Amino acid sequence: MKEGLFLVLFLIALTSLCDTMNQLFLKSAINSLNFTPTFNIVKIFKFIFQLLIKPRLWLGFVFSVISLCIWLLVLSKADLNFAFSADSMHYIFIALASHFVLKERFSSLRWLGTGLIVWGIVIISLS
Amino acid sequence: MFKKKVTLKILLLLISCDILETAVHFFFKKSALAQSSPAVVDLATAVVFLKAVFASPFLWAGLFTVVLVFIIWSTILTKIDLSVAVPIASFSYILVPITSIIFLDEQITVFRWVGILFVLAGVILVSLSSKERIAQVK
Repeated sequence: MKEGLFLVLFLIALTSLCDTMNQLFLKSAINSLNFTPTFNIVKIFKFIFQLLIKPRLWLGFVFSVISLCIWLLVLSKADLNFAFSADSMHYIFIALASHFVLKERFSSLRWLGTGLIVWGIVIISLS
Repeated sequence: MFKKKVTLKILLLLISCDILETAVHFFFKKSALAQSSPAVVDLATAVVFLKAVFASPFLWAGLFTVVLVFIIWSTILTKIDLSVAVPIASFSYILVPITSIIFLDEQITVFRWVGILFVLAGVILVSLSSKERIAQVK
């Protein structure tokens, strides 16, 4: 049973990592376009079109498909209530990736929130 | 540019998002449950498993609902700030376990509820900090 738990946690970590890769590629594709939020429909469609021809966006899409496949494997092995909460692991990976890769800066409030998520996942895994 | 005020219309959209988000996970779980889980996870067994799951109507219902959630969520975010929307949308952290108990016969101990509440509190704090960050940029 313990072995099963580690396998499930490993798979959840893997799907969270794929999610993070997807978000990183998406964000980096959007950042490269210098788009300012607008309600102008023509500008929005132009932005979406420019985004769709970015190879990085499709690389992100590939990762999200892989993430879905691993997620389905997880769901065949674990209770939904466990998997759903443990999947919040992506908050941790995204925080780390935003900090180290995208060089974003965040407040102590965000680190505190990320810490609470870590603690919650530890409790859920032990229960 | 963004309004902070949550009108009744936006609140209804947010609750719809919660319910549909929960439905997504219920559908995915149903599609995975219909197949026997591979005992050993290697590429060959995973492919056989996934082929069977992708043939399930539950999976496609789930994917369709994902698109629906994305459209409603995008609409909501044009009206209110992310730091306001996420805490209300995080209600699915409670709805999913409740759905698991009622429809999937899963059991949840008090200890696990405590863990779920920690995750929920963390998600809310992370989303609240986005407001702080936008204020700093301005």
